[in-house]
Amino acid sequence: MAGTSFATTINDLPDVILSTIISTISAVRSRNAAALVCWKWLLLERSTRTSLTLRGNARDLLMIPSCFRSVTHLDLSLLSPWGHPLLSSSSFAAAADPFLVAHRLHQVFPAVTSLTIYARGPSTLQLLALHWPQLKQVKLVRWHQRPQLPSGSDFTPLFDNCQGLNSLDLSSFYCWTEDICPALESYPVISAKLTHLNLLNPSFSEGFKAHELGDITRACPNLKEFLVACMFDPRYIGFVGDETLLSIVTNCPKLCVLHLADTAALVSARSNTNGEGFSPEDARITIATLIEVFTGLPLLEELVLDLFFNVRESGPALEVLNSKCSKLSSLKLGHFHGICMPVESKLDGIALCQGLLSLSIRDVADLTDFGLIAMGRGCSRLTKFEIQGCNKITVKGLRTLASLLHRTLVDVKIAFCKNLGATSSLKALEPIQQRIQQLHIDCVWDSEEQFKNLDGGEYNFDIYKLDDGCGPSKPANFTNFDGDGTDYDGSYPKKKKCKVSYDLNFSDIHVNGNGNGYANGSELYGKTWDRLRYLSLWIPVGELLTPLAAAGLEDCPYLEEIWIKVEGDCRHLSELSEHDFGLSSLVLYPSLSKMHLDCGDTIGYALTAPSGQMDLSLWERFYLIGIGDLSLTELDYWPPQDRDVNQRSLSLAAAGLLQECLMLRKLFIHGTAYEHFMMFLPRIPHLRDVQLREDYYPAPENDSTEMRAESCIRFEAALNRRIFD
Amino acid sequence: MGQTLLDALNVRLVGSGKKFLVLAHGFGTDQSAWQRILPYFLPNYKVILYDLVCAGSVNPDYFDFRRYTSLDAYVDDLLRILDALGVDRCAYVGHSVSAMIGILASIRRPRFFSKLILIGASPRFLNDPDYHGGFEQAEIEKVFSAMEANYEAWVSGFAPLAVGGDVPAAVREFSRTLFNMRPDITLFVSRTVFNSDLRGVLGLVRVPCCIIQTAKDVSVPASVATYLESHLGGRNTVEMLNIEGHLPHLSAPALLAQVLLRALSR
Repeated sequence: MAGTSFATTINDLPDVILSTIISTISAVRSRNAAALVCWKWLLLERSTRTSLTLRGNARDLLMIPSCFRSVTHLDLSLLSPWGHPLLSSSSFAAAADPFLVAHRLHQVFPAVTSLTIYARGPSTLQLLALHWPQLKQVKLVRWHQRPQLPSGSDFTPLFDNCQGLNSLDLSSFYCWTEDICPALESYPVISAKLTHLNLLNPSFSEGFKAHELGDITRACPNLKEFLVACMFDPRYIGFVGDETLLSIVTNCPKLCVLHLADTAALVSARSNTNGEGFSPEDARITIATLIEVFTGLPLLEELVLDLFFNVRESGPALEVLNSKCSKLSSLKLGHFHGICMPVESKLDGIALCQGLLSLSIRDVADLTDFGLIAMGRGCSRLTKFEIQGCNKITVKGLRTLASLLHRTLVDVKIAFCKNLGATSSLKALEPIQQRIQQLHIDCVWDSEEQFKNLDGGEYNFDIYKLDDGCGPSKPANFTNFDGDGTDYDGSYPKKKKCKVSYDLNFSDIHVNGNGNGYANGSELYGKTWDRLRYLSLWIPVGELLTPLAAAGLEDCPYLEEIWIKVEGDCRHLSELSEHDFGLSSLVLYPSLSKMHLDCGDTIGYALTAPSGQMDLSLWERFYLIGIGDLSLTELDYWPPQDRDVNQRSLSLAAAGLLQECLMLRKLFIHGTAYEHFMMFLPRIPHLRDVQLREDYYPAPENDSTEMRAESCIRFEAALNRRIFD
Repeated sequence: MGQTLLDALNVRLVGSGKKFLVLAHGFGTDQSAWQRILPYFLPNYKVILYDLVCAGSVNPDYFDFRRYTSLDAYVDDLLRILDALGVDRCAYVGHSVSAMIGILASIRRPRFFSKLILIGASPRFLNDPDYHGGFEQAEIEKVFSAMEANYEAWVSGFAPLAVGGDVPAAVREFSRTLFNMRPDITLFVSRTVFNSDLRGVLGLVRVPCCIIQTAKDVSVPASVATYLESHLGGRNTVEMLNIEGHLPHLSAPALLAQVLLRALSR
């Protein structure tokens, strides 16, 4: 009935329940919206907000509102100007006494136990640690050069004051490896309490050596999560080998997350393999050691061994992994060979790790299609699968894997595999086309002929033929296929036609008349990626983006976020045949609103191009033209770099093109930009959050084109002065 | 007033020597262009760095279109900075337009500068029947039309899309730096530069000058270096660097630093 309404609304719920409901909201914008409903909701929202990232100028810190008293996780690393030395008496914001600021922060956020902060030097933490002695988790951020101070000084204020510290994340903190061990050894009480230590930092030029790992693990026996960049190269003194691995296990038996990566693997995606796919040196790690390691870590849930050097014939060790580490759900291996070499149809190696939910393999030289199929049969619960640098696998093997895992697989990455360019990768994923949510492919455009050859022939192996002599012929996950048709909601387009010559399993279903049948790889199926939300692309410098739709990604109705990485040396290309990279072709995806455009590993000349060569302003124009056609609301952009002068700076054309993104709300430029160019941006009507973040090593010091503090203030003032209706 | 100028133009004084040295950048860059040269001079000089008012790192509101109609206003800025810092004598290294600013400054204050080092300097860019400045009128016109297109776009809220690489090769080297500023400032400043002709006053310079020239600077032909050497009034030398390009402090800083150290010690 119209008129007075006695309907019960959510507001009638008791405050306690309402508070609980509101406290479960994690999305910031939703919280902000909830806070606008009425005073009661405002108070409930404010009192249940536990995580806050402060954006705004450090100069204005005294003006922080005091309504967020329940915040336990506070991120101060993104204050403006980005990377400036907070609470240091020499900083420009010394208008306010640092002690006063620190005191105010403590007053306003009394409950903080988890802190992320940009610590340009130890003085930042000096005052904060004093006021927040109850800190338990700390993440330090520093992309600038380490100041000239005695080793370990960065950590002294923290370790002196925060006796309850149990988690330290230095993955974005530039320091030296020599800073860490002495600090941990000098504070045995704290080291003994540490349960999480993240030292996975790409700025360490060499990574931690064997004795350092030994010292760290001896000092921190209670570690549950240990992530570290190490030196596995056997040609270096102090390389990490068998003994080191064993000592880690002996010292830290409670580990449930162990992540050991070679520094080289952290820095570049590419590997140093020879023609056969093997790296020039072998890691000094034996299978016997690996078996001992797995035996010694029964609580292991996540394991990463991302090496740059060969571990050969590792299958037997991985078989043991399954039985010893029963909780293991996530595994990443780099340069482990022989992980799956099935003989006939017997599962071996990694295929025996049935419990895995996430598997990432890189540079496995001898992995073939049969290995992939075995993995698909054995690791039948995989939701995430990443494969990189495996040159013997083909679209057939991968497609069969996708079919086998069609019920669970939602996140796939295919990178740097010789036989799997864009079109082949997409073809291989057709069995999960309607399921997959996150995808990475390389934009290596297969030649037309290669594509045509694939077209007429079989895409899959016949599972049944492979299965002969192995007991019950169908692997378990096929038996209830009909029943699984109901997993999908009825909204999928019903494609009835199919070619019988293709995969027998699926055509079987269609013959049975199950209208909800799962589509196979028929050309007539149509290429709708119904659940794809996140797409990541790698594209070599100079290539165009426009063939993407034709390669198989025509219809992605719910694609929201795209990450494009452009890589290469543009100094080798003296001219562009096309003037438009093709960003505007992404208009095809109606829900696209967030983009990361990473040209940071594109190298060229900023101002010093020799005659006949192009400079980066031309390249930036090439890449950004048309970006205004997309209705992006959030954009992260990494400008190309001139390595000779350590410059990653926005050019005039880039600034002009970015300013054409009229729907933009957030823009983060990972580089530097002149004030002249930043001032183009306030023209974007709803732009509310902009920052220059030089989060690459080494971040330029202040005497550069980095926005000076005053420029930053002027720019932010101009941005904030606009009135939003 | 002095303090505001020092802030506005991002003036910095670094180094632990006794003698003052000014490093002045050219168009389209800012003082960070000297960052790889700077370490060579910190031990022995007090180095003064500043940004030209038209630099992209300076608040564009400070660029007064009525004031900066000729190079004299830039000279005013330089001298006011030096006065505010209490400098009474210094050596000066200027690139491109700053070389010309240095020349004019030394005419105004004859005993102020101990030495002028001029990198990529040119008293006049346009060719004359008997003078080879390096640029033909038609080429300069092309640069201006690109800048005017940018200006039109910028004023209307569109992206200014012309970049340094679009203009003819002959002018590209020089003009690519010009496209690194706000389009209206670029257009204005370029007109100032291409219209200026300092040939007449060169003789008034009494300070010893070192003219640094790269082997292949498309913007400044070798003949200009010789012209400067013979027409500047003081004791002059020419140093030829065997490298390409108009920005040796960016493309070959180590080599240039050695040459500068030598030139400053003489």
